[in-house]
Amino acid sequence: MTPGPRVSPAARRLLLAAGVFGPAVLLEVGLDRFVADSSVRQLVMTAAINVMIAASLNVINGMAGQFSIGHAGFVGLGAYAAAIVASHLHLALGGGDPTFAHSLVVVPAAVAAGAAVASLAGVLVGLPSLRLKGDYLAIVTLGFAEMFRLVLTSVPLDAKSGVAGAIAKLGGQIGYSGASGQGVPLYAGPLWVFGAASLIVVATWRIKFSGWGRALRALREDEIAASAVGVDPTRYKVTSFVIAAFGAGVAGALSAIMRDGIGIVQPDQFDFRLSFDAITMVILGGSGSITGAVVGALFVTFTVKLIELAQGLDAVRLFQSEHAWLDLNALRMVLYASVLIALMIRRPEGLFGEREPLFARKPRGAAPAGAA
Amino acid sequence: MSALTLGSVGITFGGLRAVSDVSFEVPAGSIFGLIGPNGAGKTTLFNLVTGVYRPTSGTIRFGDVDLVGKKPAAIAAAGVARTFQNIRLFGQLSVLDNVLVACETTRTTGLGGALGRTRAFADDEGAMRARALELLRVFDLEGVADEQPTSLSYGNQRRLEIARAMMLRPRLLLLDEPAAGMNYGEAEGLKAQIRWLRDEFRLTVVLVEHNMQVVMGVCEELHVLDHGETIAHGTPEAIKRHPKVLAAYLGEEELAPGDLELAAP
Amino acid sequence: MQALLDALVTGLAQGAMIALVALGYSMVYGVLKLINFAHSEVFMMGAFAGFYLLNALGGADHPVLAAVCGTLGAMALAAALGVLVERIAYRPLRERSRGRASGNVRVTPLVTALGVSVLLKNVAQLAFTARYKSYPQLFGHTRLLIFVVTLVTMGLLQLLVHRTWTGKAMRALSANVEAARLMGVRTGRIIAFTFAVGSGLAALGSVLYCLDQSQAYPTMGEVIGTRAFVAAVLGGIGSIPGAVLGGGLIGILGELAKLTQYSGGQDVLVFFVLIVVLLVKPAGLLGKTGSEKV
Repeated sequence: MTPGPRVSPAARRLLLAAGVFGPAVLLEVGLDRFVADSSVRQLVMTAAINVMIAASLNVINGMAGQFSIGHAGFVGLGAYAAAIVASHLHLALGGGDPTFAHSLVVVPAAVAAGAAVASLAGVLVGLPSLRLKGDYLAIVTLGFAEMFRLVLTSVPLDAKSGVAGAIAKLGGQIGYSGASGQGVPLYAGPLWVFGAASLIVVATWRIKFSGWGRALRALREDEIAASAVGVDPTRYKVTSFVIAAFGAGVAGALSAIMRDGIGIVQPDQFDFRLSFDAITMVILGGSGSITGAVVGALFVTFTVKLIELAQGLDAVRLFQSEHAWLDLNALRMVLYASVLIALMIRRPEGLFGEREPLFARKPRGAAPAGAA
Repeated sequence: MSALTLGSVGITFGGLRAVSDVSFEVPAGSIFGLIGPNGAGKTTLFNLVTGVYRPTSGTIRFGDVDLVGKKPAAIAAAGVARTFQNIRLFGQLSVLDNVLVACETTRTTGLGGALGRTRAFADDEGAMRARALELLRVFDLEGVADEQPTSLSYGNQRRLEIARAMMLRPRLLLLDEPAAGMNYGEAEGLKAQIRWLRDEFRLTVVLVEHNMQVVMGVCEELHVLDHGETIAHGTPEAIKRHPKVLAAYLGEEELAPGDLELAAP
Repeated sequence: MQALLDALVTGLAQGAMIALVALGYSMVYGVLKLINFAHSEVFMMGAFAGFYLLNALGGADHPVLAAVCGTLGAMALAAALGVLVERIAYRPLRERSRGRASGNVRVTPLVTALGVSVLLKNVAQLAFTARYKSYPQLFGHTRLLIFVVTLVTMGLLQLLVHRTWTGKAMRALSANVEAARLMGVRTGRIIAFTFAVGSGLAALGSVLYCLDQSQAYPTMGEVIGTRAFVAAVLGGIGSIPGAVLGGGLIGILGELAKLTQYSGGQDVLVFFVLIVVLLVKPAGLLGKTGSEKV
């Protein structure tokens, strides 16, 4: 990519693997030791999870040019599935404190469950994308996400049998805190969270810089012309939905069982605000740009944290006690929405457009679209 | 052996018959012209063949393959490529990428290869790239491979559409007004290119065209439509003198046979 | 049986009110092909405007004066808000995207509309706090009033669209903006007018709703707005009778759902209906389908 000594493909792969898993392993070993404050650890891991959410939404909203405003639904499905699997496995393994050895079994199983359930939903939500465009599709995705949330919250908790009974076990509005009610076991350490985030970023990168990414862009520009040269809209659109849902499912799964997490999954964690945050992450950085999605995710994570910190300040508390209207979260949303509107009017392509600013590549000739 | 066979093809849009009872055979390896006044149903016929519309009646066969009911992408994969009357290039993709999009049906590695960046994937992508560049060279576009298609001249955009269609490795190429907006010299070049394409890739070419210089110059057989119906079929020589054709093109006034030749030197 | 009848009556009243809000979605979509997500927040803002106006005008002491002037005032304020939103957020997009139609251009208005919606909702949260505001009780027979007002409004609207020059201009715009412009229609004005009418109707709907259900709160737009949107899609977005039909159906459906043990499932049902309609008949019950020209 960068001019310099040629590196052999094998060495390159090795470098990439080191780049992907090195930091994850280092953080697994070092994070607890060097960062004493668990809220900071939580913040760093949340950032990684938001990166997964943004990178996966970018596949639909950026690359494929569809518009999903219900990404929270996929994340939520992943979280619930993973929480259920993890807590049952935890009991089967004898309970106690989550150990690293057990996490080697529990985390892959829980993440796989989350990703599988979310992917399945991705197929279901992706299918309408064949008939519906733009606004209408957006509404279907929103409808799906809201249905997921509303089903969980509106089921009567005293229901004992059938589907309603099964859903009632998930705790309704209060949330699901494990099979025993003692909290979802928090197995996923930095290794898993950062490893998965890196993998998802690399995977979406490779999709973007391949025939697949090209075909998606072509479909986005002109569906009729693209299908006239053999790009089947059905296959590409549904698959991009599944890929995005898969990524969101992994993110949700890891957020549910993340070490230093809160040990409970609640429907309201996955309401429209999360979908809107995800859209903000993608649009801010530039739809289609993976670098942009990562930057957007980090930006959103840290502004949320800043608000949280501000709310803890004595001065702010004092001010709030006198001015009850000051809802900092509402203020944050006002800020995001204003930025988003201004961006759409002034610079709809976002910060980077579709570019990857740190990884400018030679357009043609040289290496066939990124061996990275 | 015919490359494309239409049997009593018809389509209605909301009660309006756009095409009715059109039948013809396009001989394999020929350059076949589909002509007629504006609104005769020529582009509609292309849309029927490529699966954009589904005919309300009749059969469409490509060699032995029945095309009716197949989706556009499947028809493209079967070997039918086309260009569009109102040029439809991918505006935000580079010229090279525009051509490369058409390699999806012929590539040998899938999403797995792309995710794993396997050697097979790299070889595949390299081969496709080489082939796309080769096609750009054929159409004199290699110098602009990295540019956006919107920056190209009209004639170059038309040629790029043909290059993109050829990337599919088609056996049948449908050209919708390829000479539109071209000057005399460019149109002469296009004639040579169409013949060369046919010979080099052993294609069958069907073209819809208003430019008589091109139609009479390259087509070996012509089919004439008016108001969605067939009015004549034959060699260019015969069509030039066909009274119905003259009437359709020039109105009801009596005109001397051969007037069409004014446009076809 | 009595419960069923009650549910039907309540459902129809709800439906009439939903239809008023649905019309705003429908009209804007008809003209701009844009789902104005901010419409539900205009509805909510209308409710708050009505709340303050009604109380300022004497509330229960002068019920008729308060109701008439308060409602009209709320409608005027909402209309102004609708026009403002169009001016600030949507018009610049239209002016820039004229003549282009590819890639992100289609997504841009959607994101903007979402942004405006989130913006208004949270501004309301800040301005009015999350607490519920109770409307004064003005009349006994609110249901009947809702019916009559809705039917009269629909009639007037139908006259406006089909019998006046402005209505003709709106229909021309919805068929082809460029052509309408070339034919001398001042598109900017007509679009602003459409937003004003749609928003005014939303405010009428919200004041009626609050007179019946008696509370205004910042997130009410989400709940009722969604139902209204579904009603518009169900009836056929862009169609006035469609919005009325859709509103009625959604209202009744919602009340019937309350009779079952899954009373909380009303909104699940609404979304379910929406998805089914979009999949089976995306143009809605009374809408027209169109296809892209190749």
